[in-house]
Amino acid sequence: MMEPKSVAVVGASDNPKKIGHIILQNFIDMGYSGKLYPVNVNSTGHISGLKSYRKVSEIGNSVDFVVIAVPAEAVPSVLDDCGTARAKSVLVVSSGFSEIGNTTLQGQLARKAGKYGFALLGPNCLGVMNMRSRINTMFLPLYKLDTPKLGGVSFASQSGAIGSTVMDMVANEGFGIAKFISYGNAADLDEVDILDYLSKDEDTKVVIFYLEGVKRGREFLEAAKRVTKRKPVVVIKGGMTAAGAGAVHSHTASLSGSYEAYKAIFKQSGIIQAESLDDLLGFAKVFESEEPPKGSSVAVITNGGGAGVLAADAIYNNGLVIPQLSKSTAKALRKEMPPIVNIRLPLDIAGDADDRRFEAALNAIGSDPAVDMLMVISLFQTPGADSSVAAALINYKSESRKPLVVVSPGGSYTLEHRRMMESSDVPVYASPETAARALAALYRYSKTKGSARKNEWQ
Amino acid sequence: MDYMAACKLLGSYGIRAQRSRYARDSEDAVRFSAGNRIVIKAMSQKALHKSRSGLVALNVSGEGEIRKRFTMLEKRAAKYRPFKILVQDMVPFSEKNVEIIVGGNEDSQFGKMILLGLGGIYVEAFRDFSLRACPITRHDAESMIDDLRAKDVIAKDKAAREMVTGLLLKVSRMLSGDNGIKELDLNPIILHDGTYSPVDVRVLR
Repeated sequence: MMEPKSVAVVGASDNPKKIGHIILQNFIDMGYSGKLYPVNVNSTGHISGLKSYRKVSEIGNSVDFVVIAVPAEAVPSVLDDCGTARAKSVLVVSSGFSEIGNTTLQGQLARKAGKYGFALLGPNCLGVMNMRSRINTMFLPLYKLDTPKLGGVSFASQSGAIGSTVMDMVANEGFGIAKFISYGNAADLDEVDILDYLSKDEDTKVVIFYLEGVKRGREFLEAAKRVTKRKPVVVIKGGMTAAGAGAVHSHTASLSGSYEAYKAIFKQSGIIQAESLDDLLGFAKVFESEEPPKGSSVAVITNGGGAGVLAADAIYNNGLVIPQLSKSTAKALRKEMPPIVNIRLPLDIAGDADDRRFEAALNAIGSDPAVDMLMVISLFQTPGADSSVAAALINYKSESRKPLVVVSPGGSYTLEHRRMMESSDVPVYASPETAARALAALYRYSKTKGSARKNEWQ
Repeated sequence: MDYMAACKLLGSYGIRAQRSRYARDSEDAVRFSAGNRIVIKAMSQKALHKSRSGLVALNVSGEGEIRKRFTMLEKRAAKYRPFKILVQDMVPFSEKNVEIIVGGNEDSQFGKMILLGLGGIYVEAFRDFSLRACPITRHDAESMIDDLRAKDVIAKDKAAREMVTGLLLKVSRMLSGDNGIKELDLNPIILHDGTYSPVDVRVLR
């Protein structure tokens, strides 16, 4: 499904309003290099300039991946045809199944997947996107949303709308996507299969997930434990309804509603829960470019005093600490910094700080063993900060091993520099708070990885 | 599930409950007390919150006092018939005592869950609790303690931490066992004098 050598699109059409048309056209526009077969029962020989077929079984050659975009009632018979054609994997984007109460029809999908032995994704979803093999089944015209660059973050979403929105947002966040999976009603392939797949997928460095519920609770817990040993998983959970107040017999039951249970499962399996879409993206960004830190200390370097104070508050509020600089670091800084700079953290290097002062501060503080992570606040509104500061930060980042985030709040001039840094894999945040939450997530994951070995059954 | 049967079940998993038994009458309660301070409780399926319904008499001692409080509870419990009167050793009052809740229930998605929180009257007020799916590991048990705002109150030293961790592991084993338990409330469990005393036990099957 992710790296098919041949794809059939059932419901393909020359009518640009049909979903099947958009999907086929997107395959062509993305530059998919495998064999592409348009399929439509009313086909007269050619669709979108390609030779077309009336059935999948008419194609004659084996088909790795069949995308089905026909009305719900017609899907079961198409699946039978896929079975006859020995298709390896199937995606049903059509809606009209369990999401509107039509569980009988959805049950048929799961049974046919089992009977014919192909993997089935959907129904009621956008399907998959693999940036590397140029697979994209999203039936949204490409001009309506930006396409993210190729990168290490894979995103799975139960909801198609959240899926496409987040992809559009990611494209403007400066980190890249490996795989996108919108799995909808999960008639066959579900959260557990997707976690297992992304755990093994070598292109995936970070997993982010939009989840409303899981189908197989216990298996999900076990799969999540396996994957978080290898790579970070960030989840945003939709549907925070508490358990109904009626029919509760004990204190425990009244406290431990469904949402609380999910929160517990995430904690227990080492999954990082994001409370907002902003955090989901902010965490993904730091996980894609930074390695887990050795400890919880964050050194702040800032060219604005107030921003440094806000950063210190945010750091402590998120359970991280600001370390004491060692004597040798303080001495080195004293030599390099002008007299107006007070040598302590957060280090306020003043509004006239230029690239050289940023560099000197970073070199001294970054090599201090008491410092686990770095937060550099670069306010581009200040007299000293310009493109050369952004370049200095990019330079330092390319050599530094310790996790580093940059905070640059502001308008269009700042945005330009934010883009410049992000395109060079420097994670940049619009506020000290979002940056601190991202570093806290990174630290939490370092503990999950560290305790994975200790967490044996008693 | 009957209170004494629930205590016995706890015992089979190595979890101690406070010494208790049903008293036939006030003379029986006096005999149980043997000169020590006791708690008298009217037990009824129809009253979930015993103390709120006025069905608990704490820190009772002396023959006269025991008889008086016993009779009073019988009267108050009349509207919750059928009921039984339970007598229990009183955990000595101390400002150092800490009340916790350990519980379990069945989640429709994830199966048996175990809960630890600040107990007694603080359960609903502070909602300071942590939850995990059973069975839990030692690491899970310790992280349940660390998740609480009251972690330093509950695990004030290494010994207390070890005791609560051990208790959680035993309760997890009980919840995971083949015994038909659907819900469990050990609330409160009083941490005192280097030990723990569950003074109220509720098991639903």
